Amino acid sequence: MEFLYFNVNDGFLEGIVRGYKSAILNQTNYLNLTQCETLEDLKLQLSATDYGNFLSNEPSPLATSTIAEKATEKLVSEFKYVRSNAVEPLSTFLDYLTYAYMIDNVILLITGTLHERDTHELIERCHPLGVFDSMAALCVATNVAELYDTVLIETPLAPYFKNCLSANDLDEMNIEIIRNTLYKAYLEDFYRYCKQLDGTTGEIMSEILEFEADRRTINITINSLNTELSRDDRRKLFPALGRLYPDVQDKLLRADDAEQVKTAVEIWVEYRQFFETSVTSAETKTLEDRFFEYEVHLNKLTFQQQFHYAIFYAFLKLKEQEIRNVLWIAECISQGQKDRINNYIPIF
Amino acid sequence: MAIQQKDRNFLAVIGDEDSVTGLLLAGIGHVNSQQKKNFLVVDAKTPLSKIEETFLEFTKRKDIAIILINQHLADLIRPLVDDYDQAYPTVLEIPSKDHPYDPEKDSVLKRVQRIFGE
Amino acid sequence: MKAKLKGAQTGHSLLKRKSEALTKRFRVIVQKIDEAKKKMGKIMQTASFSLAEVNYITGDISYQVQENAKNAQLRVRTKQENVSGVMLPAFENYMEGGNAFELTGLGRGGQQVQKCKETYIKAVETLVELASLQTAFVILDEVIKVTNRRVNAIEHVIIPKIENTIKYIISELDEQDREEFFRLKKVQANKKKTQAASDKEKADLDVSDQDGIGKTVDILRVADDEDIIF
Repeated sequence: MEFLYFNVNDGFLEGIVRGYKSAILNQTNYLNLTQCETLEDLKLQLSATDYGNFLSNEPSPLATSTIAEKATEKLVSEFKYVRSNAVEPLSTFLDYLTYAYMIDNVILLITGTLHERDTHELIERCHPLGVFDSMAALCVATNVAELYDTVLIETPLAPYFKNCLSANDLDEMNIEIIRNTLYKAYLEDFYRYCKQLDGTTGEIMSEILEFEADRRTINITINSLNTELSRDDRRKLFPALGRLYPDVQDKLLRADDAEQVKTAVEIWVEYRQFFETSVTSAETKTLEDRFFEYEVHLNKLTFQQQFHYAIFYAFLKLKEQEIRNVLWIAECISQGQKDRINNYIPIF
Repeated sequence: MAIQQKDRNFLAVIGDEDSVTGLLLAGIGHVNSQQKKNFLVVDAKTPLSKIEETFLEFTKRKDIAIILINQHLADLIRPLVDDYDQAYPTVLEIPSKDHPYDPEKDSVLKRVQRIFGE
Repeated sequence: MKAKLKGAQTGHSLLKRKSEALTKRFRVIVQKIDEAKKKMGKIMQTASFSLAEVNYITGDISYQVQENAKNAQLRVRTKQENVSGVMLPAFENYMEGGNAFELTGLGRGGQQVQKCKETYIKAVETLVELASLQTAFVILDEVIKVTNRRVNAIEHVIIPKIENTIKYIISELDEQDREEFFRLKKVQANKKKTQAASDKEKADLDVSDQDGIGKTVDILRVADDEDIIF
């Protein structure tokens, strides 16, 4: 039945997103980009793609950060367009997408407030997708307790905070732990939300989110090896979903080195390949690279099906990856590290 | 003088965002009891006077042994850097990501060349 | 006075040797600085590239890093090295306290962050080394200038001055000598005069004496004269 009604509300937007998707740089574009000698060349090459003349107003010594900024701006404007045309339940879905950025922003703001920074300056640094209404009110808040009471409660993130943190914690806990706790809560919530959406969306999204959760679990484990993070704390950061949940997570908790992580995760064929070379040799692709590759692969798959929301998520993620790729290439060019230039993750 | 130098424990940095981030990541960042930081991030909006002020402040502080400054920023306050001739703290010009190192401009190397008359 | 001159000359040669030793050291340092600066260019490039890698995977971490900076983990201490009486500093970095960024990038890119951190620590090591060289350079430059100034001062001012004094003294002494000599001569002359005068008197006396003798001779001679007829 969903196919019948889908187009009524969301057909237009799906079309738009598929259009955006076809504008994502392909292999030929990347090949051209990697041939560039200077950032000016790069700019020229980019202007032949869907990016058009997004850099044309920039003064000449082009900084890589400007490229990233402008590209993000473009992505944001595309996303905003989709968002403003969306109706329920797609709009809620899209809102969920922005929560991830909101977490980053809130963390940024908390850090800033803890150090008594000028909040105006902080807001400028926030990711544009994670901007929320009450953010302006942050300028008023001067300490963390105030920030928590007046601002955070108002945000969509409030339930995540409520469940795991008190105002007191904000003062004392390591900011990275807060971030990951929030992210865990967010993933679980988003997962629940997707499950209750109709068939296809729930199906595809849960696969993607499960992977995301697993990736975080593995990453947290590896990154917290040999640190002061205790096992219990580690457990608290693992999202309660994904293929690794709960059995493998228990094993991961006991892991003391990368080898044990590998053994624990290997029962899943898909994940085994990540560890084949990545842990031992640093030179070839890193674990992160492989995660990115797999993520791109999953996101690409979403376009194979119609009438679901996952393509919006996938589009956002792919576009982000693309910005990262362009930035990477730009960095390689500007810093004369041509031999590493092909380390980007091709999308199409 | 020997006692003074014992107290000089820190490195200070004036640089663009990336340089400062990297160096702080290496662990040179320090905020002392008066909330004075030993680093300054300079972006397009930072006024020149702020750089000058910070540079002078760093050179006068007694706990800094080395001041690192991005070369393109040193260029902005070149007269100050060139005039500075104390041994402590040492001012070191470092390259930044977007501005490769140019030995011609370095105030110390300039002195080297002057001495050898090249 | 002669001892003073000797002192000045030894001082001069010592200082000259010191300045030569310093200049030698100085040249070595200059060469090292040159090399280190070039090395720094490279190492900083690698470092900033590794930061780019972090940015690629983790996103922008600069703000977090800046805000997290509280206590310096990487610090330097100063050692002294003695080169011909000049204290040259040598900075040495050491780690203190725990890793403040252990958990940065926990959810994503933690490994890259740590790798980047290590690269930057290495870069800082190079920078610290360069900084010690540079400080040594500045100090040596100063000291060499002072020493050279002293050498030149001794060579061109003090020694000539002493020499002049000595010359003056010598000339004065000579003068005195000559005066003395003249005086002596004069005295002698005087003496001679008086002597001569007395001599003359004597001579006169003598002459009368001599006359007597002559007469005596003459007396003998007279024997040839006409015989006396008795």
